[in-house]
Amino acid sequence: MLPKRFDQARPFATLGIILLAWLFVSLAVKTFTRATFFEIQAPLVVADSYVQDLQTFWSNRLHSKDELLKAGQQIAGLIADYDYGVQQNKNLEAEILRLENLLNLPPMPAFRFEPARVARRDFSGWWQRIVIRKGKNYGITVGSPVVFAGGVVGRVTEVYIYTSVVDLITSPTFRLAASVTGDSRPLSYQGGLNDSFKSPRGTVEFVPLDIFANSSSPQRLVTSGLGGVFPPGLSIGEIKNLEPSADGLFKNGEVALDERLGTLTEVTVLVPLNPEEF
Amino acid sequence: MSRLIETHSARNPRLLLFSGIVAVLLTVLVGGLAYRQLFKAVFYNERERHQNQRRVVIPGPRGNIYDRNGDILVGNRPRFSVVLNLAELRGEFRAEYKKVDRNFRKLDQGERPNADQLSRIARATVAQRYLDKINVILGRTETVRSAELKRHIDQTLLLPYVLLDDLAPSEYARLIERLPVESPLQVYTSSTRYYPYGSSAAHTLGYVGINNDPEVEDFPGEGLPTFKMKGSTGRTGLEKLYEDELQGETGGAIYRVDPAGYKVDLPIEKRLPVQGRNITTSLDIDLQLAAETALTDPVERTGAAVALDVRTGEVLAITSKPDYDLNSFLPRLSNEEADKIAEDGAWFNQAIGGAYPPGSTFKILTSIAAMRSGKVLPDQPIIDCEGVTMVGNKRYYCENGDGHHGNILLPEAIAQSCDIFFYQAGLLTTVEGLAAEAKRFHLGQRTGIEIPGETGRMVIPDPEWKARTQKERWYPGDTANMAIGQGDVLVTPLEMACFAASVARNELFTIPTILHHPDAPTQHAPPIGLTPVQRAALLEGMEGCTTHGTAKTISLANMRVPGVRIAGKTGTAQKKVTKDGKTGNINYAWFICFAPIENPEIAMAVVVEGENIVSGGESFGGGTYAIPIASAVIKKYFEKKAAAALAASEKFKIE
Repeated sequence: MLPKRFDQARPFATLGIILLAWLFVSLAVKTFTRATFFEIQAPLVVADSYVQDLQTFWSNRLHSKDELLKAGQQIAGLIADYDYGVQQNKNLEAEILRLENLLNLPPMPAFRFEPARVARRDFSGWWQRIVIRKGKNYGITVGSPVVFAGGVVGRVTEVYIYTSVVDLITSPTFRLAASVTGDSRPLSYQGGLNDSFKSPRGTVEFVPLDIFANSSSPQRLVTSGLGGVFPPGLSIGEIKNLEPSADGLFKNGEVALDERLGTLTEVTVLVPLNPEEF
Repeated sequence: MSRLIETHSARNPRLLLFSGIVAVLLTVLVGGLAYRQLFKAVFYNERERHQNQRRVVIPGPRGNIYDRNGDILVGNRPRFSVVLNLAELRGEFRAEYKKVDRNFRKLDQGERPNADQLSRIARATVAQRYLDKINVILGRTETVRSAELKRHIDQTLLLPYVLLDDLAPSEYARLIERLPVESPLQVYTSSTRYYPYGSSAAHTLGYVGINNDPEVEDFPGEGLPTFKMKGSTGRTGLEKLYEDELQGETGGAIYRVDPAGYKVDLPIEKRLPVQGRNITTSLDIDLQLAAETALTDPVERTGAAVALDVRTGEVLAITSKPDYDLNSFLPRLSNEEADKIAEDGAWFNQAIGGAYPPGSTFKILTSIAAMRSGKVLPDQPIIDCEGVTMVGNKRYYCENGDGHHGNILLPEAIAQSCDIFFYQAGLLTTVEGLAAEAKRFHLGQRTGIEIPGETGRMVIPDPEWKARTQKERWYPGDTANMAIGQGDVLVTPLEMACFAASVARNELFTIPTILHHPDAPTQHAPPIGLTPVQRAALLEGMEGCTTHGTAKTISLANMRVPGVRIAGKTGTAQKKVTKDGKTGNINYAWFICFAPIENPEIAMAVVVEGENIVSGGESFGGGTYAIPIASAVIKKYFEKKAAAALAASEKFKIE
């Protein structure tokens, strides 16, 4: 029989042995285990998301018929607006195509729009990443841009069978080539260190010295399209201030991002139709 | 048999001896330890730092150079490159080394590369792997040069290894979007000098050269092994003269390194480089470009043009042709470019380095000297010009007009540039009078402008000078020649521009400056000393020159400056030269002027060199070759002035 003191320490010893064994397990096994764990977890995340949708459904059912009718009317109005917008966009697309042909320009990168619901957002990484409810099952690929009504959301960094992980524009690990509206020179936008539930911020670097911005006359920052991942003209945020860098070559500044990024429920993944172009 | 039992006595003398020895040894040990810890602590601390720490020095970008309106003449251009942080690749290097070593084990011992070679192959393979990622993103096919990589690792390991340099903006944009934020591959920016106007004002602005040993001031870690990034230093022009002001403040960082020399962790100490101070020149880039374009269009000519602000002496434009593109010096001038510049004679700054006979433009000085001496009155003829006159026993001709100016008066003699009149005026004034007057105007001496390379070869001759330098006596013919700006008189274009500005202000001298001060006061020098009548006669002659005299081409439709009265004087000078075994004259076409006459603002001097060596004289006149350049600059000056006035009035209306 083992001494009592050892018996008490048995769980710790077991944990130690497991950790020691884990150290010697090959990288491939570790990667596989991690991916498998995520895949096993994914249905739970998705199921949880559906349950939340159900909750919302039942809570909506508590509204009176009058309220629902009013909401329906508002939605009908919005749909009419959007239909008109879609029609205008089609005309513009046709015009762009005509000009491209006229100028012998290569066609702009084409995307398939894949709307996806946000399935999970951890408090610990509120401004870093979200999990969306579509993955390989909908042809989502790593690196695809993700957008919403307010502009850029982020970029897909991991794709699983039913879910995908999106690195948010607010994350310090997110960077893209941006430009100021009306100026074609590329700048570098990078997410910042954002505190949970505070207004999201990013930083901008390599801003030419002849661009000025302050809180009373901010500059709108959009994607430049030069980076090859994001199409041009997607809204990023507003540059609220610019300071010359110490070396005098550029200016650096802070970008105020869309507040709605904190309450994302639905996003759209731009899946490249010709991935080899990217 | 009794058993021997070993016993010890506390006072055993042998033990005492042993204890003593141990005590001494311990004392030595403790003493040594104390010596090292207490007395040599600083020394060992310094050695430890020396062994474990490295300093990286980054020169600050140079300050900008602006024109008087705030346009950048010399700035810094960002230079984007993609670099590889080797410190983050140590694990990959080791893994690759093992892999390469395994592969080579199949070979015989003699054919196998040694450890150093294996290490080199492994590093190059890893670096190439990363470069291939860049190649895929940018669509390039670059390869790593293993010798260069080895040299980098041996000599500048702490600095990032540059995989691709001078990326286009679109390439840099692709990389910042495609490369992960935390990757050994990073987009790196440095600065390089940038001259937006290329060759414009090249001699004045100057160029920079690479400085491999930038100065480090007030940055800690003086004794540490230091890696210095290349800086730049001014070699000519303002870049050289204002080196101390333009040079940026050096920044850098101190890193802790592992035994292999790779940096570990973030820098212990860091300071950002700071840009040098900016300089605002008095140049107006629009006038500068106007002068340069006029000197090169339709034919590129050799010559110089200087425009001054009459009131302040600030140089508005100063050009010398041929010149060179300052951007071709970056990162370094190629041998072919250097040879071409030398072949064209473009190194030479004609505006301040060239000393030329001023020709008939000197007649303004002769006029002033003659009137001030009282020997020539504005309303009395001094000679009947019949095209030729005898000075001593030598015939002197009038080279201007039809050569028969008759009993011409001083204003018309200036307008028509009558040589016979000025031979006589010079002779009446005497060489001493002429030389003294020239020296009153500070001719024959450096102007002191803040541009390196101003020549000291300008000459205002007199009998003493001739005796000293040529061992000959002074002849009346020398005085006659001097009176028309020939003979031994030598001036620079800048000097003549200053002279024109001085005459415009009715003062004796002008101190030129290339630096702009927005509130610079009007310069003041002693007055020339002409009576109002004499002054009026001088101005009448100079205006007559531009309306109906030798400079009348400036009144032609394409060169006229509407509403502006210009006072000027043309000149054609010859200088004897021997080139390619052929001896003859090189002609210099001159024009000096100021405008407007009633309230002078801008003064100019232009000299254009004839293309060929000729035996005669007047085939290359200032009226034809120098005036278009002056006209272009003056026209641009008054156009800008009118536009500024219009803009100001519109602003006033809106407000």
